[in-house]
Amino acid sequence: MKITINNRSIEAREGERLIDAALRHGIEIPHFCYHPHLPVSGNCRMCLVKVENVPKLMPACNMHVAANLKVDTAAPEVARARQMVMQFLMLNHPVDCGICDKAGECRLQDYEFEYGVPRSRSLEPKHRKRKLHVLSERIQLDNERCILCSRCVRFTREVSKSNMLGIVERGGHAMVDRATASVDDAYSDNVIGLCPTGALLSTDFLYKSRSWFLEPVRSVCTGCARGCSVEVWRRKKEWQMRLLGEERNRSAYRITALPNPEVNGPWICNKGFDLHKVMARERVSSAQVGGVPASVDQAVDRAKNMLAEANSPAAMVSAQASNEELDAFAALAKALGPRLRIYVREDCHAAPGEVVEDNLLIKADKNPNSFGVRERFGSTRLDAAAASQHDLILIWGEWQESVDLGAATVIHLTAFAAAGPQKPGVLIPLSTLFERSGTFSNFEGKHNRFDAVFAKPEFAQHATDLFARLAP
Amino acid sequence: MTPDSVFHNFAVTNTSHSLEAYRARGGYQALEKALTKLAPSDVEREVTQSGLRGRGGANFPVGAKWSFVNKKSPVVYLCCNADEGEPGTFKDRWILEHTPHQLIEGMLIAAYALNVRHAFIYIRGEFDLPLRRLQSALEEARTARLVGEQILGSSFACDILVHRGAGAYVCGEESSLLNSLEGRKGYPRNKPPFPAVRGLYQAPTVVNNVETLSDVPWIIARGGAAYAALGNKANPGTRLFGISGHVKKPAVYERPTGYPLKRIIFEDAGGILGDKPLKAVIPGGSSTPVLTAQEIENITLDAASLQQAGSMLGSGGIIVIAEGTCMVRVLHVLTRFYSHESCGQCTPCREGTAWMNDIVERIGSGKGVRADLENLQNIPAGISGNTLCALGDAASMPVVSFLKKFRPEFEYFIEHGRSLHEGRLEA
Repeated sequence: MKITINNRSIEAREGERLIDAALRHGIEIPHFCYHPHLPVSGNCRMCLVKVENVPKLMPACNMHVAANLKVDTAAPEVARARQMVMQFLMLNHPVDCGICDKAGECRLQDYEFEYGVPRSRSLEPKHRKRKLHVLSERIQLDNERCILCSRCVRFTREVSKSNMLGIVERGGHAMVDRATASVDDAYSDNVIGLCPTGALLSTDFLYKSRSWFLEPVRSVCTGCARGCSVEVWRRKKEWQMRLLGEERNRSAYRITALPNPEVNGPWICNKGFDLHKVMARERVSSAQVGGVPASVDQAVDRAKNMLAEANSPAAMVSAQASNEELDAFAALAKALGPRLRIYVREDCHAAPGEVVEDNLLIKADKNPNSFGVRERFGSTRLDAAAASQHDLILIWGEWQESVDLGAATVIHLTAFAAAGPQKPGVLIPLSTLFERSGTFSNFEGKHNRFDAVFAKPEFAQHATDLFARLAP
Repeated sequence: MTPDSVFHNFAVTNTSHSLEAYRARGGYQALEKALTKLAPSDVEREVTQSGLRGRGGANFPVGAKWSFVNKKSPVVYLCCNADEGEPGTFKDRWILEHTPHQLIEGMLIAAYALNVRHAFIYIRGEFDLPLRRLQSALEEARTARLVGEQILGSSFACDILVHRGAGAYVCGEESSLLNSLEGRKGYPRNKPPFPAVRGLYQAPTVVNNVETLSDVPWIIARGGAAYAALGNKANPGTRLFGISGHVKKPAVYERPTGYPLKRIIFEDAGGILGDKPLKAVIPGGSSTPVLTAQEIENITLDAASLQQAGSMLGSGGIIVIAEGTCMVRVLHVLTRFYSHESCGQCTPCREGTAWMNDIVERIGSGKGVRADLENLQNIPAGISGNTLCALGDAASMPVVSFLKKFRPEFEYFIEHGRSLHEGRLEA
């Protein structure tokens, strides 16, 4: 159906909200409380627009399009109403942007510049509220910065269903607070991104960096078979400074959700928000041959010879590997011939206390590419009986299983220094997720791309390169 | 029931609220008439014909409100709004205390017309005697099989449940009343959808004021045309006016609409306390714009006359203010009330009411500055019309009207740091 916004005729869909229809056509109606994936609350009053033949300004978020609707988002009374709403919101806001992590990516800050009054009209001292209150281990709550849009409350009620948050008290005393004794919510960190101001902040990211020093890189969470799209925030090149040291210039500062309607919608789980911690574990920093540090070339040569000489070699494929790496391995396997038996495995399993599976996002398989592995190499697993028939086993990825590998010699390719199966004959360090690019196939077989966040360190090898070198 | 009076037609005694007394003055005959002689649509037609308008303050035609409801819906609810919280208004309290059966009868007739099986009374939490009287009346009615199944031997069934509020003014707003009744926080809902389409538990719901529903038995007993003949043509019937403030006889008076405001103050209520001159009148509950003594000269108590004067008939709570009263302090009482009662859901009302109260409080403490008056004009303009419910408008109107009509008093207070009117009034 046709509707008119600011004298421009646009095509709207039946049942669509005015605010969405406008945005689809490039007309942004400013809003705080509205979120397309949360129930409408209509409380911020920022999206008020003028509708023909309606005496009052109407909130665009609670308005469904109707044929021949005529809307003006630029009328003087709309601008005045927005200015007043901004003045009201800023009335008791501490404007402590200088020490607020949200500064630079704050909706309240952006709108204040765009729609606010140049100078506050208020002569009253600001009403004080609770500051930097520990809401949970993961989240800090600053009630002074809060504009009570209730996005976080609606999220915990309607999406994560933990009912963790609520608004207590009334009127000017109203404030967001915990509504349940427990803060058990596997999706709680989403409220940090949902918050249009700096009221809800990540404890992990607190005071780590100003947002404008950082830039996002598209990645995929390896926490489970869902393979949610995430953004990994690294320091911008121009803000990398020698004085900060290698570690701070090269670390992943935080993970945020990257909306992907095909896979995860707008949310990710807390495990996804912790992806950078997984990647910051202790690395294997040097190749080894026979338990002794060696150069990569030595290790690769040794491994190549072992593979060529073994009578009955076996390989265990990593479900943390990308499709491209799996293809490179398939090429190696082809070159080695039918002598090589290939087994699949799940590198990672649910940690104690972790949510195993739920109806929202989390899947029981804690590896991102089991689908890609199954597609290429079937589903035969290695057990002790099978292991005893092999004189050489190539283990790809972290080793957390407890299968007895018997007397077989082991070639271990891994990024992280997890306890190996036994002293590997050859150990070669690999690059991590953040250092390579590729795709995963999630549990539904949907491909999801991840980009390299950092260059790989000298000592680590990309699995794709390595397999090419191991071929006879 | 006397011909021209709906409420004040009996002598209030210790037992006049009982079922026996109510029946003795013709009670429950209208219900019997409705159940035996009228179809539900006839009842609705009579009410539409009567021209009865909502007595809660919005003055909305009752027949129209009832007509919006889809009576074929599997469930329709009726809610009586007894959360009378507007400062200066105490008429529903009189009904609940002295003739609760009249409300029950009105609700049953309305339930019959609207195909309602379960009706609710949301009563203000602070009400004590009204609640006890209402509960005992309901008990009597249940025992007499007037409420429940097979009412008066017919196939009509309706239960009435009483729910106590928890002390929030905003729960008198119909959608927050429904939220509160459902056990949620008393936040007003976004409209649309209106309660007539999706109200209590998502079912079509009619929310009517106590006085409105209590008018229904009279209308059914005597016909809508008879009611339409009472009082003002455009806005017929009688209304209960609660007069408070500086008058000699503050009380609830039942008068036909169109009754002169001056007469009700100076004759019925006995004039101003201490025979002081009249200064101002708030004509329909604290949120309605204040009128000066000059403005009320020719005002009659009907919607049109008060609208013309720039005010509202509202809920019929007339607050009389005598000469010598400090209007800055009166306004402070009002702004404090509205900032205290704002639910805090939407931005303009939550922040604006508190801001206005801060300013008025500061002026009242002698620390006002000239820029305050400009702010007090701008803030209501940013609130009214932009809020989720009508509380924002209710909070804005007194500020705008006080400033417009008594600006010199505010200026005096700011300039001298003290009130133009010091000392106690009663002296």
